[in-house]
Amino acid sequence: MMAEVRKNRVEKRSARRTADAGRTEYLAFVLAGETYAIEVAHVAEILKPPPITEVPRAPGNVLGIIGVRGRLVTVVDLRRRFRLTERPLDRRSRIILTDVGAGEQVGLLVDEVQQVWRLATEEIEPAQVLGAEQPAHIAGVGRPVEGVILILLDARPIVESP
Amino acid sequence: MVDGSGRNDAGDKAREEFFSEAQEIIDALGRDLLALDAALKKGQFDAELINDVFRGVHTLKGLSGLFGATRMSVLSHQLEDALDDLRLGRIELTASVLDLLFQAISLYTRLLAGEKGESSEPVQEIEQLVVALGQVSAPRAGSAAGVVAQYDLDAGLFGVLTEYEEHRLRATLQQGLKLYRIRARFSLSTIDSALAELKGQARPHGEIITYLPTGSTVDAEAIELEILIASHADLGTLRQAISGPSLSIEEVPRRFDTTAEPPSPDASVASLPAFEFAVQDASAKQPVNKRADTRTSLIERDRPPTIFAGAPSRPRPQSVNRAGPMAGEMSLRSVNQTVRVDIRKLDRLMTVVGELAIVKTAIAKVIDRARRHSVAGRELASELQRLNRSFERHLAQMQGGILEVRMVPLGQSFDKLARIVRQISRELAKEVNLVVTGAETEIDKLIVEELSDPLMHMIRNAIDHGIERREERHRVGKPPVGTIALNAFQKGNHVIVELEDDGAGMDARVLVGAAIRRGILTNEEARELSPREAFALVFMPGFTTKEVATDLSGRGVGLDVVKTNIAKLGGIVDIASEVGIGTKVTITLPITLAIINVLLVDLGGRLFGVPLANVEEAIVLDEAHVRAVESREVLTVRGASLPICRLRRLFGLPKEVPSARRAFVVVARVADRRLGLVVDDLVGQQDIVIKPLGKSLRSVRGFAGATELGDQRVALILDVASLVEEVLAPGETRFLAAAHLDAERRFAEPRSAG
Repeated sequence: MMAEVRKNRVEKRSARRTADAGRTEYLAFVLAGETYAIEVAHVAEILKPPPITEVPRAPGNVLGIIGVRGRLVTVVDLRRRFRLTERPLDRRSRIILTDVGAGEQVGLLVDEVQQVWRLATEEIEPAQVLGAEQPAHIAGVGRPVEGVILILLDARPIVESP
Repeated sequence: MVDGSGRNDAGDKAREEFFSEAQEIIDALGRDLLALDAALKKGQFDAELINDVFRGVHTLKGLSGLFGATRMSVLSHQLEDALDDLRLGRIELTASVLDLLFQAISLYTRLLAGEKGESSEPVQEIEQLVVALGQVSAPRAGSAAGVVAQYDLDAGLFGVLTEYEEHRLRATLQQGLKLYRIRARFSLSTIDSALAELKGQARPHGEIITYLPTGSTVDAEAIELEILIASHADLGTLRQAISGPSLSIEEVPRRFDTTAEPPSPDASVASLPAFEFAVQDASAKQPVNKRADTRTSLIERDRPPTIFAGAPSRPRPQSVNRAGPMAGEMSLRSVNQTVRVDIRKLDRLMTVVGELAIVKTAIAKVIDRARRHSVAGRELASELQRLNRSFERHLAQMQGGILEVRMVPLGQSFDKLARIVRQISRELAKEVNLVVTGAETEIDKLIVEELSDPLMHMIRNAIDHGIERREERHRVGKPPVGTIALNAFQKGNHVIVELEDDGAGMDARVLVGAAIRRGILTNEEARELSPREAFALVFMPGFTTKEVATDLSGRGVGLDVVKTNIAKLGGIVDIASEVGIGTKVTITLPITLAIINVLLVDLGGRLFGVPLANVEEAIVLDEAHVRAVESREVLTVRGASLPICRLRRLFGLPKEVPSARRAFVVVARVADRRLGLVVDDLVGQQDIVIKPLGKSLRSVRGFAGATELGDQRVALILDVASLVEEVLAPGETRFLAAAHLDAERRFAEPRSAG
């Protein structure tokens, strides 16, 4: 009951925010020099990478599993997933814990987390501006201010097939 | 949450409650029916049991109505009608009527599964059953109307008796029982317990038909009841059995002149309003409540609860309507002191305990650092150490407590089995008694759930293949009715479940012959098989000795599934048999799944856990004794062959350690198969809470899950059963013999000793 009330309230609040301002929040991060962004609504947490346990015979882009407060979370190396050259973790590396409601949270390893952008609808261009055939995880392109280009990611396809 | 159709949490929770409550009622119904069946076989009819079943079905009807489970509601309604006819004696309880009732129980179970969305609802079967029940319910001609009239009873009495009571009176008198009238005075404050005591005394000697207040209000604090009881016993026996300070028993004389004029209504009728207990001091609240208590409990005992909406309450001439709301109130208060808990909640609690254990380890490390830091630090450290020990103790208690809550008696699944035994033995026209011992043995709830199906398969097999027909049993000098013994007991950290039948037993030669015919064994392999290995053949996929499959068994599916399911639970199945004597299947299970003991091993610098339930021993790998047999490596251990698997190679892990160091072989065993797992090093044993891998890794084979070790690290836990399957599956029979020879030798000693 409480949970329901709370959920409603949260939904109302975020609905109001998007309706009033017509803006959606995106978390920007860096991967091999490019800036990507993922909807804040899909981000559960940002973690400094704990020791990662490799899972033999797991899909190639899966880095391994970590324990997050008693739960096991699968970590996907986004560089590998996007066919970019790999590099070792450093002090800026972060794991973005995504929750797209697929029944499990999945961690995405990124080079660096930057900031949250609030994008108005008119600041978002469709993925097709990057070319006709785009992979499912590219949701569009964000242009919040002059000189900043965000590649907007849909985390769901990545979580569903890592 | 469950189906995303927008149902809220509260609704889900209520539905969950509905499912578990309905399941409990269905289970209880099954037990009652079994008891009825047992009584029927002895030629008895237990009216109280029929009442229990009726109440159960009635409650189910109410519940299913509330939750919109229409089919269940329809079924309950029809069933209720039939049961009402049964308790009122309109129809007779026969084996075929019982069959219908048992069928209803299994349909209920399937309906529940359907409601949960686990399977489709058995629509057609329900319709058929409803029709069948309708046919049964055809009214029977009353033949005994005259009997009652021969007794010296007040005519007014009949206006007071419920239809049920009237029926029981008639039925018992027809059976030739004598009728007694007990007058007893009860103090209002103790009437509950006193009446219960009296009932207890009377029960072995007869059946209480009714009790009514006499209305003689001598004392405001006391009430006199007139109790009618039908009994075989004579007056002397009854007087001895039922005693009390203000109590008298007399026999109701039988009149031979049945045409005698009906007696004029007397006190017992005229004073019926006295059932209101003539409360004189109504201003005092306490006594009023007490009296109300007394009254409702009097009624409740004999009446089905009328709490749920939509339940047609047959009007009882007196009191029930007035007491109705009160009865509802009472039953709300009388819920027993237990709560139902979703097992996932316990899992979550267990996770928290696991977290705390990690905190504890971290604190221990801080203490260690403090100790080395300075003199002051050392003092603080020892103080902290004491606190941490106390923390550890309480944590262990908490863990034990949660484990205890997960434990349920095995009897939960045994009840279902008793029903199955009855059903199968009737279908196959074989007579079987199920003798259960150790139903109170406790085991993890999840294991109980998973155990039902394997046990059911094995019981089907025992009846179909094991127990002989009556004539055959007679010929070989066995008791005509077969026996299946189901024994459970705890042994250390394991629970042993034994299933033993006194049937024909298995002939090793027949099994081997069938295996050869089905291409499971070659002639050469067959020659080398010991009897024990031959029995283990029944667990091979596709194995059957039956040429014609029946509905129940002989399709060659079943026992291999049994073995796999038990192995999934970390258990072991073993089978022994003797021709003409019977077959005994022994299942060894871990007591809980929540915490398992693992052997931590090192593979290329990474830690992995092997469940100790699957580990037989660990030995040093002697490369000199490894030889390749058809693309597979086999190690000779004490003269027997053990297939081995180099885990580092299987998992594709880099070879960091130069092979100068000696490796180890962890000998893993799943049911009857053994496999040596080659690891770099043995690290130690640990109790761990196993957690499942995420959905994104479900395609990864070989791991049962993972666990967090103290230092933020996560260790994967091997799924030994799936590894054995993966490594040994192709052409595994080659190794079956080898594994068995060795197993035979190892098990020979304790067997012959015990």
